Amino acid sequence: MRSFRTRSIIVVAGLAAIPALAACGSSSSSSSSASASASTSSSSITVTSTDTTCDISSNNLKAGSTVFAVTNKGSQVTEVYVYGKEGDSYSKTVAEVENIGPGTSRDLTADLAAGTYELACKPGQTGNGIRTTLTVTA
Amino acid sequence: MFANYLIGLREGLEAALVVSILIAYLVKTDNRAKLPLVWAGVAVAVVISVLFGAALTFTSQSLSFQAQEAFGGIMSIIAVGFVTWMIFWMRRTARGLSGELRTKMDAAINVGGVAVVIMAFIAVAREGLETSLFIWAAVQSTGSGSAPLIGATLGLATAVILGYLFYKGAVKINLSKFFTWTGFALILIAAGVLAYGVHDLQEAGILPGLSNVAWDATAAIPPSSWYGSLLKGIFNISPAPSILEVIVWFAYVIPVMYLFFRKPKPAKAAPAAPAPSVPADAGAADATAGEAVIATTETASTSSSK
Repeated sequence: MRSFRTRSIIVVAGLAAIPALAACGSSSSSSSSASASASTSSSSITVTSTDTTCDISSNNLKAGSTVFAVTNKGSQVTEVYVYGKEGDSYSKTVAEVENIGPGTSRDLTADLAAGTYELACKPGQTGNGIRTTLTVTA
Repeated sequence: MFANYLIGLREGLEAALVVSILIAYLVKTDNRAKLPLVWAGVAVAVVISVLFGAALTFTSQSLSFQAQEAFGGIMSIIAVGFVTWMIFWMRRTARGLSGELRTKMDAAINVGGVAVVIMAFIAVAREGLETSLFIWAAVQSTGSGSAPLIGATLGLATAVILGYLFYKGAVKINLSKFFTWTGFALILIAAGVLAYGVHDLQEAGILPGLSNVAWDATAAIPPSSWYGSLLKGIFNISPAPSILEVIVWFAYVIPVMYLFFRKPKPAKAAPAAPAPSVPADAGAADATAGEAVIATTETASTSSSK
């Protein structure tokens, strides 16, 4: 019995290590190793998502790491996507944050190279969303 | 508040159901002594999710959405592996049950005990990080009102209550029926988890086809409705699944349902078994037939299933 219990504890502890390993794969927003962009400063943008609007504090961003502070002021659960250009449409998901409950705020961190993107707020977590264009300059 | 409540309910429901199935199983097979291990698995998963979520919420540490989706996808697939193992283990167990098998049954359940702990852990940890981030956001927003946090907490609490009610109902039915019905439910739950894992891997860019939607029933089952939330919470039914998700769901359900419900092959007279006088009517469920079950694997069982 005792060795069985010890074995189980070891197994559970081993399993507990899995998310820890995943954490090793996470990146801090100020040191993204994959990014080759020269800019290391992070800019911060405010996004207010309601049931019908998606207001952003600025549509012009600098290339590099950007933190979108999203506040859900609507009555539905919302999610926010940053789409990059893919062919003719903005459909390539560059970054996303989902499950933002009404009345709460979440941060979306994205590393953006120069170019144009679309920010989409999706109240109700369905559909194409309410979109605004983002222009990222180097 | 209701929207936050529904998310709490949805996130908690599947874990609550799987854990309550595990607990019912341990209670019904006289293994209450193992219950603390289940709670240990659940507790470790909760603590890790809470800490991980807090770290991501309160520090500048961030997990790219691709890493998050990849983690969710991989955890989901691992969970499906375990649940499938458990489903067929239950099937084998149901076929071989008999009073005279008590000692051998105990040995079999001992092996299952470790897996039970792992299952409890995975059931909670799978959605744990996502739920944790959602709850921490609600905690952070208490400065401007406590409605989100109250709603979310009530949602989680409701999920736990529903799990408890399910357990209460499950322990009342006879053991064989219990195994059959929970096996059936677990197959559907596992298929949903597998499809969800595929969806996560598509979002992470690891699998293609995210935008090839098979159908869009969002108007009929809005995810923000209570029935949409229940369907999503229990069976991971998404109103607009990708084609790959649908294929994977059927590719899992059809063979597994077949393998689970097929009549066991009649026991060949096992040459190694100490000449048990196996009754000519092979349909009888009795101890001698049961010994053959333990000696071989699932193909040898002949006991009646209902």
